[in-house]
Amino acid sequence: MKLDITNLNGFDHQNRGVGIRNLQLILPSVVCSTHISRRIANEVGAVTFAHQHGCAIIGDDVAGIGDYFESLAAHPNIGSVLIVGLGCETIQGNELAEKLVAKNSSTNYLIIQESGGVDGTYKNGVKAAEDLQGKYPPKPAKLTSLHIGIDLSSPNLLAAEVVTSLQSQNVKVTVSSSHKNSGLNFSELMESGVHLILSFPDANQPTSGFPFIPVINIASDSALHTAIATDFDLPNKSSVDQVIEKIQEVVAGAGTKVEKMGAGEIITPRVVRSV
Amino acid sequence: MFNTKVELKGYQRPNGLWGFRNHVLILPLHSALSASARNIADATVTKDSYGAVGISHDWSGESDSDYARIFKTISGFAANPNIYATVFLTINTPVEIDLIEAAVNFGANKIEVINLAALGSMEKLFEVAVDAANRLLVEAANEHRHLAPWSAIRLGLECGGSDALSGITANPALGVASDHLVALGAYSVLGETTEILGAEHLLAARATDPEVGKQIVETVARYERSINYEGIDMRGAQPSRGNIEGGLTTLEEKSLGAAKKAGNAPFTGVLDFADRADKPGLYFMDTPGHDIEQLTGFAASGINIVVFTSGRGTPTGSATVPTIKVSTNTQMFDSIPDLIDLNAGSIADGTESLEEVGARIFNEIVEVANGRLTRAETGRHHEFSLSRMYGTVIS
Repeated sequence: MKLDITNLNGFDHQNRGVGIRNLQLILPSVVCSTHISRRIANEVGAVTFAHQHGCAIIGDDVAGIGDYFESLAAHPNIGSVLIVGLGCETIQGNELAEKLVAKNSSTNYLIIQESGGVDGTYKNGVKAAEDLQGKYPPKPAKLTSLHIGIDLSSPNLLAAEVVTSLQSQNVKVTVSSSHKNSGLNFSELMESGVHLILSFPDANQPTSGFPFIPVINIASDSALHTAIATDFDLPNKSSVDQVIEKIQEVVAGAGTKVEKMGAGEIITPRVVRSV
Repeated sequence: MFNTKVELKGYQRPNGLWGFRNHVLILPLHSALSASARNIADATVTKDSYGAVGISHDWSGESDSDYARIFKTISGFAANPNIYATVFLTINTPVEIDLIEAAVNFGANKIEVINLAALGSMEKLFEVAVDAANRLLVEAANEHRHLAPWSAIRLGLECGGSDALSGITANPALGVASDHLVALGAYSVLGETTEILGAEHLLAARATDPEVGKQIVETVARYERSINYEGIDMRGAQPSRGNIEGGLTTLEEKSLGAAKKAGNAPFTGVLDFADRADKPGLYFMDTPGHDIEQLTGFAASGINIVVFTSGRGTPTGSATVPTIKVSTNTQMFDSIPDLIDLNAGSIADGTESLEEVGARIFNEIVEVANGRLTRAETGRHHEFSLSRMYGTVIS
């Protein structure tokens, strides 16, 4: 089956490319601002995620986490970005904003310690997020290319066939390293800018997602996957055609199972112990 | 002044520990169930009920170098005495089954296991867990507090976003409150190994037993070795940028101020990260300086109330342990009032003595133990972080 993206609309996200989603990211630059970020995101219909970083980090992690945040803002599925910082952390919200603006000009930031605390930040945050949405409305555009990520914990015949089929159709494909944990693979695939992910979770892992990249979960024949079959978008022993058909639907805007649930934790890679 | 006549009331758990809250905790044992945990807890909040508390984390049962530390943190967290019942969300792996058993052995009051693999879908898991949480919340609300001894208090001493006044106002005032509690027979625990670096000899000199003094010095040395092993100079992260902007000049200055939280009482012992103290007194626990990792380690050790001093201000709170925030300066207290419970800046303003602020902190600890909600609780700041000794990308 041929993937037909020529008649599909995506969203023009300037230098980030054309995305298959138009999502606003409320980005907590530090663990301390993750809760307030969620309140803001829920109010304005944006996405966010919880993480443990941004402070008490040393060595390569300081630049590493900063670069990771930068790649989130640079992603083609992301519209505008609102950074929420605390004020006294290692990764300073205003400096992060300066760095991110180069990748995504629709970036703004807020600092809790300078906004009157939680309520002040919430109110200012909702307003700032809505202002960004107003200033950068969705701009439909023809999808000219597609980049698909494959989350693979171990070799998989169906995945190999799908990769061959997609590549023969000039779709760019990136296959993850084989971490057993899909979360780490998702982060890696996000950094390479994939529009959507085909996830083949390890036999002992449940389905999972990513906040702004649709993830199509494909079951194996393991006992766990059989038990939770309805959580998957595609069953074990799906054909290549079924996978292509599902990609077509999701690119066109249909929500995946985890997308509909609002699931999607991020596992932010780190290399050094926390201090 | 010190309101020692007030009756302290709490919930005694089967393992003898006392709780000052009666929470229902939704605890995911796999990162992929974190969003569900949050959604389940949110679904139980009503106009009349605080509802259940939920946490998120990024662990999926990996058996890497941090396994033992994470296992101990999560199982200890589930057994915190402020919890009436823990609802575990699992996919039923052997690791999860072991962890639940460890939580029970630590003295978890009541547990409920919601198994995704048996229920068949995330949707069903959500429904079943919300029902269970609502049932447990009704049970918890029907429990009564009982008169508790001072030894029921397990106080955690914490600071974050320190400034030049930390060591002059809020920290020594907290030290006054801590000394008073220790003298009454309570537990008090100082953490943050990174933030006593340079002051360890002063703390060691206060050990009741020379062996404890040696352990304090060795804990700091071990910490420094582990950072040096990474080829990094600690002094790059400490004092932090926020500390420097707040007026702190060196790590030693920060440490000397941070250590003041522990007052002048003798040190009874040294605890490993998330370890539980077994007799009343003042302890030092080996924790990172990361505010939430430390708070999580405290909760996992059975600490049931925390006082957190701050020069810059932070929303930080724990899902299970009430966290009283104390500002070091009046300007910050006035600028972000909904984050801070008490102001110790009055000492620098010259309007209150150290002893007076110490007494206010003491009285607040008792009031909060007896049920008054902290700002962090009202704002539902249910933060949780796993402390890792190794990176997530090294296996």
